[in-house]
Amino acid sequence: MIEVKNVEKKYGRKRVLNSLSFTAEKGEITCLIGINGVGKTTIMKAIMALTPINSGEILIDGEKIRKESYEKVTFIPDTITMLPQMKICDAFAFMADFYKNWNPQRAEELLQFFKLDPTERIANLSKGNMAKVNMILGLALDVDYLLMDEPFSGIDIFSREQIAEVFTSHLIEDRGVIITTHEISDIEHLIDRAVLIDNGKVLKEFSVEEVREKDGKSVVDVMREVYGR
Amino acid sequence: MKNYLKLLNFEVNRFFKLYLTLIGLIIVSQFIGAVVVSKGYMNDVDQVMYKKQLSMSQYTEDYGLFSFDQFVGSEWFLLPIFFSIAVLMIYVFFIWYRDWFGKNTFIYRLLMLPTERITIYFSKLTTIMLLVLGLVALQIVLISIEIQIVNSIIPTDLQSHFLFYDFYSLRMWGWLYPNTFTEFILIYGVGLIFVAVLFTAILIERSYGLKGIFIAIVYGMLSFGVFIAPLLVNRLLNGYFYTLEVFLMELVISIIVLVSAIWIANYLLKYKIRV
Repeated sequence: MIEVKNVEKKYGRKRVLNSLSFTAEKGEITCLIGINGVGKTTIMKAIMALTPINSGEILIDGEKIRKESYEKVTFIPDTITMLPQMKICDAFAFMADFYKNWNPQRAEELLQFFKLDPTERIANLSKGNMAKVNMILGLALDVDYLLMDEPFSGIDIFSREQIAEVFTSHLIEDRGVIITTHEISDIEHLIDRAVLIDNGKVLKEFSVEEVREKDGKSVVDVMREVYGR
Repeated sequence: MKNYLKLLNFEVNRFFKLYLTLIGLIIVSQFIGAVVVSKGYMNDVDQVMYKKQLSMSQYTEDYGLFSFDQFVGSEWFLLPIFFSIAVLMIYVFFIWYRDWFGKNTFIYRLLMLPTERITIYFSKLTTIMLLVLGLVALQIVLISIEIQIVNSIIPTDLQSHFLFYDFYSLRMWGWLYPNTFTEFILIYGVGLIFVAVLFTAILIERSYGLKGIFIAIVYGMLSFGVFIAPLLVNRLLNGYFYTLEVFLMELVISIIVLVSAIWIANYLLKYKIRV
């Protein structure tokens, strides 16, 4: 379980996260929803200790993040985290070099699924393919938790479909996933929990299935209610 | 330790193409320079000897001998060295900033490695030191080849005696090529501390943004102040301390400055760094 507890974060005088709390369970896909600039990416960075927080606490399976945690939780940002001059296979070699739980078979499997050529240079990839490679770098790690920042933004429809397919496959099963998006419609059917965020605060946290069954509402319906639009 | 070596190898590889270019530039420029300077000298000698009908020994009496310094002092020899120093100085900054800027955001990857983050700092620091020492070592080899080139063009009768060892006695080279092991440790130790303090200053900027630039400058000046404090105090007291005492104080102070640079960097990388 990833627990985000009363996290506060300021950029200068601007308060980006305001006593924000939520939890994400293993085996579930939790979606952070909010318009651009409400602090979704900041939350992910804070979980990975890539940006400091002013107060509050973030626990991963009850522990604060330490170097071993990076074998347990990984972050797929919306830009690629490898050097552009590397070939895809070089990037994989780098991962295998540093991470004990890098799973080369799975990386290979994903390469084939996405129909990517391992000798291609990252700099020469299309935007969609670059996003796929970036995704493989995270998915091929045998981690318990995956954080994905806007995995669908700016990608063509076919790539979207492929990536969405990954979500319903064994690659995601049993893992905890936190995903951000500002266009929920694409992935509404994939997610288990939704966390609605605005102005650095959690407005509502709910189980998508429960709301659908009990109230007959979709995520978008709940969003309309909560945001009052 | 294993991860440190892997990262070190990785960092060195990232600079290697540019490094080979620098090495190529130094070799080409200095070798051409050795030929051009020697040939030019011989041309002058021939002309003067022809015009004034001098013999070689008369010439050397009137005009003196060719010294290898004339080549070492020429721009052929010095410019590529200054250029390399400038490139390495810029790279001290670039080695960090390149991971933040540009399309890729490699710093995410580096900071998410399952290893102590200070390892990144150590690997980058070692990379800079290795690159510097590599060029310094290369120059020693080149000098001995260049002496051969000059000797093959200018008859030794026209040259003042230049022992390889003389090279070390040239003032500016005393810095790059210390005579004793102690001096070597001293000079390159100071260099190491200088780079470490700069690295920490860069990390302060990376952690606190605009405000960080100001803190980084204060930190840099403070480190420098502390570093030269023993020398200053001794100067103020008109050399009250023995040289050995000053040396020991300086040693202790150096260790303090270096350790605090590493300690601050470790703290920043762990808790304050932003991507």
